[in-house]
Amino acid sequence: MSFIKTQDTTEQLVADTDMKLTVALLGNPNTGKSTLFSALAGIPTRIANYPGVTVEEKLGQFHHRAHTIKLIDLPGAYSLNAKSPDEQVAVDVLHGNLTGIEQPDCIVVVVDATNLSRNLYLVSQALAIGKPVLVALTLCDVAESKGIHINREKLSEFLGCPVLRLVAPRREGIDHLAETLIESSDWSGQTIPESLTSRLATCSDSDRPVASAEAIARYGWIDEITKDVLSYSVQQSRSLGDHIDSVLTHRVFGTVVFALTMLSIFSSIFWLASPLMDLISGGVEFAAGLAESIMPDGILQSLVIDGVIAGVGGVIIFLPQIAILFLFVAVLEGCGYLARAAFLMDRLLVGVGLSGKSFIPLLSSFACAIPGIMAARTIENRRDRLLTILVAPLMSCSARLPVYLLLCSAFVPNVAVGNSWIRLPAVVLASMYLVGILVAAMVAFILSRTIFRGPPQPFVLELPSWRWPQVAVVVERVREAAVSFLKNAGTLILAVSIVVWALGSFPRPVLEAGVNPESAEQQGEALRQSFLGQAGRLIEPVVKPLGWDWRIGCAAVASFPAREVVLGVLGVIYNLGDVDPGEEDGAGMLIRQLRAATWDGTDRKVFTLPVALSIMVFFALCAQCASTLVIIGKETASWFWPLVSFAYMTALAWIGAFFVFQIGTALGW
Amino acid sequence: MRSLATLNIGSTTHVVDISGEDNTSLRLLEMGLTPGVEVTVVSTAPLGDPVELELRGYRLSIRRNEAARVVVAN
Repeated sequence: MSFIKTQDTTEQLVADTDMKLTVALLGNPNTGKSTLFSALAGIPTRIANYPGVTVEEKLGQFHHRAHTIKLIDLPGAYSLNAKSPDEQVAVDVLHGNLTGIEQPDCIVVVVDATNLSRNLYLVSQALAIGKPVLVALTLCDVAESKGIHINREKLSEFLGCPVLRLVAPRREGIDHLAETLIESSDWSGQTIPESLTSRLATCSDSDRPVASAEAIARYGWIDEITKDVLSYSVQQSRSLGDHIDSVLTHRVFGTVVFALTMLSIFSSIFWLASPLMDLISGGVEFAAGLAESIMPDGILQSLVIDGVIAGVGGVIIFLPQIAILFLFVAVLEGCGYLARAAFLMDRLLVGVGLSGKSFIPLLSSFACAIPGIMAARTIENRRDRLLTILVAPLMSCSARLPVYLLLCSAFVPNVAVGNSWIRLPAVVLASMYLVGILVAAMVAFILSRTIFRGPPQPFVLELPSWRWPQVAVVVERVREAAVSFLKNAGTLILAVSIVVWALGSFPRPVLEAGVNPESAEQQGEALRQSFLGQAGRLIEPVVKPLGWDWRIGCAAVASFPAREVVLGVLGVIYNLGDVDPGEEDGAGMLIRQLRAATWDGTDRKVFTLPVALSIMVFFALCAQCASTLVIIGKETASWFWPLVSFAYMTALAWIGAFFVFQIGTALGW
Repeated sequence: MRSLATLNIGSTTHVVDISGEDNTSLRLLEMGLTPGVEVTVVSTAPLGDPVELELRGYRLSIRRNEAARVVVAN
C-alpha cells in the first residue's frame, strides 16, 4: 500500500512541475557571480566551451518546489556592447544566437551592492533584451558594513524589475530568489523604463558616436537613480581596504609583498605537497607489488605493471601540487590580489610588448598552459591576446615540475650554495622557471616589434575591493583543476603509457634456445629491436649533441602528447631494458633506474649533471603537449598558430639544451 | 583644461570630457568616466604607470596614455 501511495505523490509532483526554466546569470566581473552560482546550483553539471568560440560555459541545475531551473553562468561583462570574446558570448547567449544553447527565459543580473553605480550600467542594457530581468544585489553585508544603504523598493521602481537582497555565502535570500524566478515565468516581457528611453532618444542627435552618447545617457540615468536610492550612514572615510590598498599597490612595499607572495606560493607547492606525494607514491608501489604477486609472469603482467601502473602512477603523484597551486590562485583571485598583480606588473610587461592583463594568463600558465591560454580571453585586444597565447606555454607548467623535481633530486648534488641555507637543487629548479620567463620575454619582445607591430593597446582594469575569498568558489576551482587533471591522467596519458609500452615491447625478439628471456641483457636487446628503439635510434644523431642516448630521445618523442608522460616513458624504457637498479635509501624506483642507466655496451653512465640539465632545459622550452597545441588552435581559430608554437618552441628547446649540455660538459660539471 | 595624466597622486577633480571616438574612449565612458563624475588619483604602479583611480565608489586602473584622453576640470 505504502508503495502505491508514494507513487501517487510523485505523480502529483510531476503534474505540478511541467515547468522548466532557463535562467542566465549576467554580471560584471568580481560581483560574486560564481558564489551565487554555487549557492543556487552547487557543483556545475557541465563545464564546457561554447561551441565555436571556446569561452567557457558553466551550466547547472537545481530544483525549487519541484520546479527544474537550469542555470547558465555567463562570462563576466562590463557592457553588452561587446569588446571581448567573453562579452560577445554573453550577448549571443542572451539573444539566443548561439546554437546549442537555448535562449534564457529570465536574466538575473548580479549587482555588487558596494559598487551600484557602475553595475547598473549593465542592468540598463539588460533591460533592453526583452526577457524578464531580476536584479540580485550581492555583497549586501559588505555594503552595509561600509555604511552604504540601498533603498531596494525605490530602485525596483526605477528599474521596473524586482531587486532582491542576497548574501550568497550565507545563503540569505537564495530561496526568495528561486521563488521569484519561478514567478517570473508569468510576467510579460521586460520593458525599458520610460526615464531611460527618453534619455536614449536624444543620442542620435549628439555629435559624439551613438555608442558614446548612449553610455553618457545611461550614466545620466544611473546618477538620477542613485541620488534617490543610495544613502550613506557614516562619513565615507578611508576604509580598511583603502589602507590595505595603499600598502599593496605601493611602489616599494607593494613590490616587496608581491615578490614575497609569489615566493611563498612556490615554496609551499613543494613543502605542503611532499607528504601527500609520498603517500600516493607508496600506494602506487603497493599496487605494483600486488599486481606482481597475483598475476602470472608474462606479457599481461608487464602491461599492467610497466604500462598501466607505472604510467598513471607517475602522473597522479603530482595531483597534490596542482591542487595546492590552484588553491593559491583561487584565493588570490577571490580576495582581489590578482588584479593588483596585473596593476603592479603592467609597466614591466608593456616593456616586452605584453600588458598587465597578460599577467593573469601567464601566472595561470605556471599551473597549466591550457587554463592560461583560455584566460587570455579577458584580453580585449587581439594582438595582446595572441602574443600572450604564444608565449604562455613557455611558463613552466605543473607538468614540467615532475620532470624538474625528479632530475633535480636524482642528479643535482644536494649541497648548499656557498655558505647560505639555499640548496643547489632549489637553485636549479628556480633557474628552470627563470629560463622559461626570460625566453618568453625575449620572444614577446621580438614578436611585438616585428610581426605584431602596432600602436600601444588600451588597458582598463578594475581593482576590485578587498574581500574574503569564498570557500565554495575556491573549493570549486581546486576541484575543477584536479578533476580535469585526473581525467587526462586516466585517459590520454594512460593511453599513451600503453601505446609506449606496446611500442617498447613489440616486435618481440626471436630467442635462441637456452637464452634466459628475463636476463637484463636480453631485455635490453628486446628494447633495441622494438619499434620505439628503432625510432629512438633513428633520431639519435639529432639528440646526441644534447648528450642524450636513444632512450631519452624515445622518451622525448613519446612525450609529445603531454610532458608528464616523459617520466612514465623513462620508467617504462629503463624498467624494460636495464639491470636491476638495486636498493638505495631515499630514492624512488625510477630515480634508482635512471642512476643505474648506462650507454649501450659500456659502463659509462647516461645521466650526468649536464645531461640532466639539458633534458630539463629542453622540457622547459619545448611544446610537448598536444592539448596545449589543440587549445591554441581553438582559441586562435586557426591551425597556423599551433604550428608556429610547436616549431619555434622545439627549435628553442633544442638550442637551449645544446648550449647547456655543451657548456656544462666543457666546465666539467 | 588639463588631462588626468597630469594630476598628482591624491588630487581630486571632475571629468569634463573623454577625447577620441574609438573603443578605448567608449570603454572609459562605460567604466563610468563620464562628464561630471568626480575622480581621484589614488596611486601609481611601481614604475609610474599605470595609475590607480577612484570614481563612483570603486577603483579603476588605466595607463597614462589613456588617462591623457580624460579631460578634467582645473
